[in-house]
Amino acid sequence: MAETAVASQLTELWETPKTLCGWLGTVDHKELGIRYLVTAFLFLIVGGVESLLVRIQLTHSNMNFLSPEGYNQMYTMHGVTMIFWYAAPILSGFAIYLIPLMIGARDLAFPRLNAFTYWTFLFSGILLYISPFFHQAPHAGWFAYVPYTLTEYSPGVGMDYYALSLILLGISTTGAAINFVVTIFRFRAPGMAISRMPLFAYSTLTISCVIVFAMPALTAACIFLELDRHWGTHFFGIAGGGSTFLWQQLFWFFGHPWVYVIFLPATGMISLIIPAFSRRPVVGYAWIAISTILTGLVGFGVWLHHMFTVGMSDIAMSIFSAGSMTISVFTSIQVLAWLATIWKGRPVATTSMYYAVGSVVMLVIGGLSGVFTGIIPVDWQVHNTYYVVAHIHYVLVGSNVFPVFAGFYFWLPKMTGRMMSEKLGKLSFWVMFIGFNVGFFPMHIIGLMGMPRRIFTYPAGLGFDKWNMVITIGAFVLGVGILISIINLFVSLRSGKLAGPNPWNADGLEWLTDSPPPPYDFEHIPLVASRHPLWDDYDNLDDPDDDRVLDGGRLTTITTWLDAEPIGVATIPEDSLLPLVMSLTLLGFFLAYQFHALWIALALIILTFLAGCAWMWPHTEKEVL
Amino acid sequence: MSTLVESPPVQIPPPRTKLRTLPIDQTRGIQAVYALICTEATLFLCMFGAYYYLGNNKDRWAIETPPELVYPFVLLAILLSSSAVIHWGEKQVEKGRYGASRAALWFTVLLGLLFLALQGMEYASEWGRLTPDTDSYGSIFYTITTLHAAHVIAGLLLLAYVGFLPHYGFARRSPHMPYQVAARYWHFVDFVWVFIVGLLYVIPHFLVHGHVH
Repeated sequence: MAETAVASQLTELWETPKTLCGWLGTVDHKELGIRYLVTAFLFLIVGGVESLLVRIQLTHSNMNFLSPEGYNQMYTMHGVTMIFWYAAPILSGFAIYLIPLMIGARDLAFPRLNAFTYWTFLFSGILLYISPFFHQAPHAGWFAYVPYTLTEYSPGVGMDYYALSLILLGISTTGAAINFVVTIFRFRAPGMAISRMPLFAYSTLTISCVIVFAMPALTAACIFLELDRHWGTHFFGIAGGGSTFLWQQLFWFFGHPWVYVIFLPATGMISLIIPAFSRRPVVGYAWIAISTILTGLVGFGVWLHHMFTVGMSDIAMSIFSAGSMTISVFTSIQVLAWLATIWKGRPVATTSMYYAVGSVVMLVIGGLSGVFTGIIPVDWQVHNTYYVVAHIHYVLVGSNVFPVFAGFYFWLPKMTGRMMSEKLGKLSFWVMFIGFNVGFFPMHIIGLMGMPRRIFTYPAGLGFDKWNMVITIGAFVLGVGILISIINLFVSLRSGKLAGPNPWNADGLEWLTDSPPPPYDFEHIPLVASRHPLWDDYDNLDDPDDDRVLDGGRLTTITTWLDAEPIGVATIPEDSLLPLVMSLTLLGFFLAYQFHALWIALALIILTFLAGCAWMWPHTEKEVL
Repeated sequence: MSTLVESPPVQIPPPRTKLRTLPIDQTRGIQAVYALICTEATLFLCMFGAYYYLGNNKDRWAIETPPELVYPFVLLAILLSSSAVIHWGEKQVEKGRYGASRAALWFTVLLGLLFLALQGMEYASEWGRLTPDTDSYGSIFYTITTLHAAHVIAGLLLLAYVGFLPHYGFARRSPHMPYQVAARYWHFVDFVWVFIVGLLYVIPHFLVHGHVH
């Protein structure tokens, strides 16, 4: 696009200076989205290496590769890293980058909050990874059941780092969720009524609402744990009148909705990728949207299925068993809609499509084993065996890792401006797909044979050896597959061919602008007339008298939440270092507390507040209208 | 741009409002605060849930010696009147009477401080028979009330921040938005206390009579 006078005026308004301060203080959603993606991907690699170490230990019976305590710490860090610091943040990264582009806005509703949540996410991960340096990483599994996590049984600092870093991450996640809710409701381009919103926006909106109502349960549980460990309270200790199940109730009240938090946005991505490569609008748009919302809603009513073995009344178990199976109806609706889209369309076999279809296959396998374990007697049989490990990995890799790769192959050309190699991509897909299935399908078998999860080793002669060998080989093959994609990325960054605005001929608004997008996203705020703005005959950028340029400041439109009628313009704040300062002081507060320097902690929380005040303090801006 | 499929005709054309003439919209801040209030309310709901979960099937619970009722009701009166004051202040700031609204705001801060002082006295009087490490009842009782006190402090800090806000040069940004934000958060803090009084203080007094061993 030629640099017009309008474009240079907008660039001057929106561009972040290329200095250190600019880098640290940027509030650009594209920059922060990429940082989210990179950071979360690094956590994927760290968690992946941990899982490989776990797999080496389990290759044979009676291996001594890791110590028992080291093994416990390793699988715990693997689970915690993957579930909390990879799976959700990587989807947030996509949402932060893509949502404003998809809905035709110039940034998120609260760009500085966005910067704050990024830094807090990063620092919470760092806080968690301080603990291994004391050789006292968390060691009680990612759901950290009491009483094992109380000081009698876990005297080290590992569980404290677990609780504190999760509280810090909770602040970040909640902030991001609130940001998405307001952005999606208020920042949609004129004409993008709620019935025309991309399905990825639906799923992000749903999970953001879920986070708002689910996250506090984890925060409460972690506060109770910390109080019990160091302040002499009796929430979980039976002797003082506490209840061990209180932890499980609170954790799973958060935990099961969280499964949908890391699942739904990924299905939203598939709902955009499959139609784009089937060359037709998605089948059953309304059905997918409604089942997304219902999954989020019903997800609050299934948490007891993690606790069928603790001894509850039959009626409670029956209700939650039925609830769990209801979810599979909503997931099936989405799966059938995707299949129908491929069936009725003219599919194009790109790498992204491979990953999307592969993820559907594995999601179906994981979903079926999920329905199985939702049946109470089956659950009693397979609880805490490798069957459950197989289930969770099929669901999470099928509905998170593979869609994320599909998303990378689909949207990286938009982010980097360069195409990825299809050849390397397809190779990577097949290696990952084969590696994953070789690695995880046998887990069903050894699970049914009775191999329990989270054991350090197992005796020979139980028939587990050969399967475990296969699983370990599969896990390494999966790792190689991921490596090929990473190489593909670097090759594409160096020498990929230029992508142009819309390399896939896809339908969303994000393909309307350059690749990579200019700092202001859209020169003219687009108008939307259908669900598929780039596939209809309407010219979204038609703006003869430059009415929708909004170059009198950092501005974007505010629309009504249902019909997207424009009712105002929103001012977007400038870059600021204060979100970074605030999250640093917050990290300092948690660290000072961890080292029992309570006065310093108090000072730091006051500093956090003062940083917030400085952040919000009004200043006379250039008059713009 | 080539049309790939038989694209549906444009049924409802997009709105043709001129964007240039639209006013600056400041409402998204208060919407985020409502979302924040939702998540904070859920935190308290989890705490209340824990209170009942821990109390379930216990022989010894609050019912033996329910907490005193005088303090919580005095505290309730203080908080409710502070809500009324800040509400009046909100009305004033919308009319542009900044002096009156600022006075209302600082008076609310005073009431909040009075609340904290009285709650300290209440803790002192309860401390003799109940501490957080007495048993699970003491733990949850003090955790809920202290969490609420922490929210009172947070609300007071917010109010104080707005109290110091200047209103210079607000051609586009009147101080009434921050004022409204702080006030709504303060209403929420007060509202939580209503539930605490009901669930933690009043209901145990009824349960004393209904309890059968």
